Amino acid sequence: MTSFFGKLKSQNATSPAVGTTPTKKDPNAPIPTPLERMLMNAGPVRNDGSDKFFGMENFGNTCYCNSILQCLYYSVPFRDHVLSYPRRSSPESIAHAQTHAPPRIPPNQQNGAAKKPPNPSSARNAGTPPQQQKPEDKDSPEYKKKQALLAGPILNMSYENSQEYEMPETLFTSLKDLFEAVVVNQSRLGVISPSRFLETLRKENEMFRSAMHQDAHEFLNLLLNTVLENIEDHDRKLVAQKKAEPPPPMAEEVTDISLTESGTVSFPPILPTPTATSPTRWLHELFEGTLTSETRCLTCENVSQRDEPFLDLSVDLEQHSSVTACLRRFSEEEMLCERNKFHCDNCGGLQEAEKRMKIKRLPKILALHLKRFKYTEDLQRLQKLFHKVVYPYHLRLFNTTDDAEDPDRLYELYAVVVHIGGGPYHGHYVAVIKTQDRGWLLFDDEMVEPVDKNFVRNFFGDRPGLACAYVLFYQETTFEAVQKEQRMEGKRRASQDLTSGLGVLPRQSGELHQVQTVTPFGSPGSPSDAVQYPALDHAMTAPPQFKTNGHVDSPQSPPLSAIRPTSTAIQSKKDKAKEEKAQEKARKATEKQAEKERLEFEKHRRKELASKLTDAHKRQEAELKAALEASKASKAEEDKRHVLERIQTSHPNGSGSGSSGFDRFRRTKSLRFGSSNKKEKPQLNSSEEDIATPTADTVTPEKEKDKEKEKKNRFSIRKKSFGMLS
Amino acid sequence: MFAIPPPPRYPTNSGLVATTLETANTLTFREGAEYTFQAGEGTYILRDDLQLATPPPHPSEAPVVNPNPLATSVVPPTSGVKLSLVSLNPKQVNHDLYKPHTATSSLLRWKSLGLNSIKEGKELKEIKEIKETKETKELEREPRVSIETSSDISNPAVSANGSNRSSTVRAFGEGNAALSPIASRGDGLKRRKPRNNIIKSNSSFVSRVIPHEALARKLVERDQGGTFAFANINRAFQWLDLSSSSKQDPMTKILFTKAHMLCHDVNPLTKHPTHMDVVMGSSASDIIWYEPMSQKYARINKNGIINNSAVAKIKWIPGSENHFLSAHMDGTLVVYDKEKEDAPFVSEELVDEGISIEDDDQSTLVITKSVNSTNQKANPVACWKISNQAITDFAFSPDSKHLAVVGDDGCLRIIDYLQERLTDIYSSYYGAFTCVCWSPDGKYVLTGGQDDLVTIWSLHERQIIARCPGHDSWVTAVAFDPWRCDDRNYRFGSVGEDCKLLLWDFSVGMLHRPKGANARARGSISTLSVPLLRQRTESASVINRIRSDSNRTGSIQQDIVDESEFIEHPVEPRARTAQLPPVMSKKIDEHPLSGLAFEQDCIITSCLEGHVRTWDRPREGANSSQIDLSGQQRP
Repeated sequence: MTSFFGKLKSQNATSPAVGTTPTKKDPNAPIPTPLERMLMNAGPVRNDGSDKFFGMENFGNTCYCNSILQCLYYSVPFRDHVLSYPRRSSPESIAHAQTHAPPRIPPNQQNGAAKKPPNPSSARNAGTPPQQQKPEDKDSPEYKKKQALLAGPILNMSYENSQEYEMPETLFTSLKDLFEAVVVNQSRLGVISPSRFLETLRKENEMFRSAMHQDAHEFLNLLLNTVLENIEDHDRKLVAQKKAEPPPPMAEEVTDISLTESGTVSFPPILPTPTATSPTRWLHELFEGTLTSETRCLTCENVSQRDEPFLDLSVDLEQHSSVTACLRRFSEEEMLCERNKFHCDNCGGLQEAEKRMKIKRLPKILALHLKRFKYTEDLQRLQKLFHKVVYPYHLRLFNTTDDAEDPDRLYELYAVVVHIGGGPYHGHYVAVIKTQDRGWLLFDDEMVEPVDKNFVRNFFGDRPGLACAYVLFYQETTFEAVQKEQRMEGKRRASQDLTSGLGVLPRQSGELHQVQTVTPFGSPGSPSDAVQYPALDHAMTAPPQFKTNGHVDSPQSPPLSAIRPTSTAIQSKKDKAKEEKAQEKARKATEKQAEKERLEFEKHRRKELASKLTDAHKRQEAELKAALEASKASKAEEDKRHVLERIQTSHPNGSGSGSSGFDRFRRTKSLRFGSSNKKEKPQLNSSEEDIATPTADTVTPEKEKDKEKEKKNRFSIRKKSFGMLS
Repeated sequence: MFAIPPPPRYPTNSGLVATTLETANTLTFREGAEYTFQAGEGTYILRDDLQLATPPPHPSEAPVVNPNPLATSVVPPTSGVKLSLVSLNPKQVNHDLYKPHTATSSLLRWKSLGLNSIKEGKELKEIKEIKETKETKELEREPRVSIETSSDISNPAVSANGSNRSSTVRAFGEGNAALSPIASRGDGLKRRKPRNNIIKSNSSFVSRVIPHEALARKLVERDQGGTFAFANINRAFQWLDLSSSSKQDPMTKILFTKAHMLCHDVNPLTKHPTHMDVVMGSSASDIIWYEPMSQKYARINKNGIINNSAVAKIKWIPGSENHFLSAHMDGTLVVYDKEKEDAPFVSEELVDEGISIEDDDQSTLVITKSVNSTNQKANPVACWKISNQAITDFAFSPDSKHLAVVGDDGCLRIIDYLQERLTDIYSSYYGAFTCVCWSPDGKYVLTGGQDDLVTIWSLHERQIIARCPGHDSWVTAVAFDPWRCDDRNYRFGSVGEDCKLLLWDFSVGMLHRPKGANARARGSISTLSVPLLRQRTESASVINRIRSDSNRTGSIQQDIVDESEFIEHPVEPRARTAQLPPVMSKKIDEHPLSGLAFEQDCIITSCLEGHVRTWDRPREGANSSQIDLSGQQRP
């Protein structure tokens, strides 16, 4: 089934249903994988990449890279921005680049799959019949991965397309190459072979050059920092150019972004054009938050505050705790004493102090690094902690400052990077990711498999098998979105039951293989889609007769399709079910008409009541907001004065103001953001914090300490980069 | 002490004999500071630690040598040890004094079934006091709502007196002729037993049953006021006598083939020295009705014929001999009759349940079979779909009128189950709710959840009262300590995944000035710089204003209570909610805790790995009030 599936895709949508029914009965056709089964009624391919499920080839211990890249790909706003910054390239240019790519060199196996030509459209034709693999255990991941490679298409990413973006080849352009290739490809499934990306990564970063097992969180941190740098470099260049010529038109991107709604995260509809004063800060806005460290000198009781940006939070773990508790502990008070004294500007000299870190600005995407690898003194090396740390599907942060904006922001878990193995120096990484409208999927290198929602809870650390969650990705969401999703979940479950029960009906398979030519800049999921695809004869996306039949459409809530443009497929399934029941229902409808009217009335009244309540609530909220606003304004004023005073009086380095410290930090060639780490003595955090306040007195002892640690500490990224500072 | 176990009913896989060894429970006594905890009233000391043996996997199950951590097959749910406690009091024949206990079993309830007349009398008095004070207070404060409030308050008292009960509170299913109970009141021996003998059963569902070798003698010789406990661990279900000197030896141990029992309950109405009605819900969705004295059982919802998802919680409906309510993990509440046969269940409503829940707002209760249905030949008696997500726990209110249901969707639903109507929906701060219980007077509901918080909700004010931070992981069980609650002060406890037991005190007076507590808590955190201080005072005034506002909305809510179908309450921001710190927090086990029960003389906790720990209450001080009360009641 798979290979023929791909063939059809390459033959393409001009003749969608040709030969589907006969080939379906092909006895040699392998059983569709769970993912294929799930995507059977998926409808036309979208152009925002939200319905692509590509595995990633492992080049030997590159699972750290694969799992992180998958997480980033399914970070919807991140993907959208990568695709549209600085602009989306045309499919032709991508195709052109692909045809000129060097052939793929399979990393470790020389089977039929490996000899496939790089062109993805023909990749399927040379598949070895899977029956030969019979003796293998069909449930083993190895078998499934091999099958995924056999099934293809394999996107051979040995080319680069950076000229198209008018950027030098960087990690960012390689990443963009990957994302674009996946989005433009007409198959929903496949395997991507990110060889060029790895080359670029290894060229720039010595530590990733070996084929050793690497730390996924370190890679994430490096990737985000590098991408940030790449973009800013580009922006600076653009700004310089812009003095001569007008900015390139960006209308297309604009429509694109506004249409790729995630339902949870909202973006400014227009990407800010880089100017001298405001560079594009989309990456900052997604991942960056601000930590405030408040230090209270125990001698003079003076409190100094310092803001630091962070791209992810690293939290210490304790046995039998929750992520919430870990975050709470992150913000607990810490004594600075003995060798770790604080240099007080007020009373001068090193003093004992109390310090606590709180979150002042919440990021849109919160990446939480669970510090599973801990340095143990007696063993002289890192050890993996198998603590049971539970993480909920939703999260709010308790450790915000009093003046934080939206301190009750709701986050939802959407990706988990799992480390499997007994120690930090070996093992395997996989990613478990919640996709926009296909539920949770397991990404294990080449293999992609749908999983139950409860599967996500297998990695607390208390199960046999050494698999533990290592990095958690939470994204901003709203209460309403969560509720809506919970409703959709039930629907999805129902529709999945339906498809698995029915098997492949000819009509369904017709739809399955009907792949529309990708219109790269069209609008995904727009109502016009339904008109564009007449072959979906039963896909009544908005059946009005059912709206009146028992379910009154709420006047306040916008139509479903507008909120979740991606739900057409699900809807069509539902419609089918409805159609089957339509006749029966119609009969019953008349009988129940009277009762329904009553219900409708009832409902209406209920809604009025509810709105009354919400109005009252809104009023409260508005008042609160106004008051907060006022206090914030006054505080800002106060702060400004404070900063001025400080600069004028005491500080030679200007470390009193976060921004100047930050700038200084920025000029170095190092990573700008460490992950915000705290309280682990053998790790580097205290020095990290001190970087923004490099007062001579404080730095010296720290530096010595660092050197000591350097010998032991394997996680050298941060250290190396900070070493360059001093 | 064990009889030699009969050979397993399934052929063993050759060569795998050693792993199938059955082990016995152990009882240990420990001393030392780490086995005590201190509260205001004194020191609680570990009496003993009963370790329930985890049974080996069934011989027919292939042992997993090298588990694949990424296996995507769906694993059936399991549960930590939960206890259902029951005390048979032979003196309790006076039916006038008999109070149908609502929050019946499992560790979440606030009261054990082991009530003798002394306790009962005390409780009655308590409730009366509450009633009086509440009535006068409510009248003074808000005359408009007083009628409803006072009637609500009086209900526990009314229902406490069995004879009055029917005059105000309808019994479940009353008025439906098809459900009218068969007059079967009588002593235990005359009560109807399940049909099949569990020891002689050749069902593939039950693996084997190991009764105590001297069961009959033990039953006669035991202290009749003592407490029985029913406990689940893995695929085993044990009947224990907690008053026995060798309480580690189960009266009976049942091993199921595959299914894990997740929840169980004993009917307080029908308990008798010769009869106990135990129901248990399994991970395989089957429900077992078990009568331990005669070792008879019946299987309900066999192979999931009515609902094929696991049973998260099961409870006898207060005041009903035959009906019990079970919460299935697909978000359905089903009422079964223990004596009725199963029939394939088709929704009686014409609405397609799946679609209506999604298209409608989520906050509905879809009655797929009403208790008022005339078709009552077979199970289920009633069936309500309330969510698409799993229900994790529910509890009946002490006045037997309402049901509090919590689930994975993070919603606390208050359901008027007699009228099959949803009245309120409250949301967690974030994440799922895991447990729920009512205060003894029915005024407050406690929830615990994946936000690491215990949350107090007021049913009268229809709003959140306080959030209680203190756990370092998810909360797994909450319970009131009825022996330390009076009309204004409440003591409750909570246990969690963090292995900690926390005790909390809150009083009505304290709860009405939440901002103060909140501001103080924050003051210790925030710096004392001038701008911050000013800001704090400002926000405090804002809160005051809002407070008055929210009072207004409260009154609006009160107005529409009777008319509207339900009210969905939005999540209150942290800055506007009171926080309550624990009075005691202690790690009392090495494993995540799963159960908590308050008894008159002890607190009982249980954990995932099978430790059932009994903590003696402080010797003096704590008992003084009880002695007083019991002294008054004794004549």
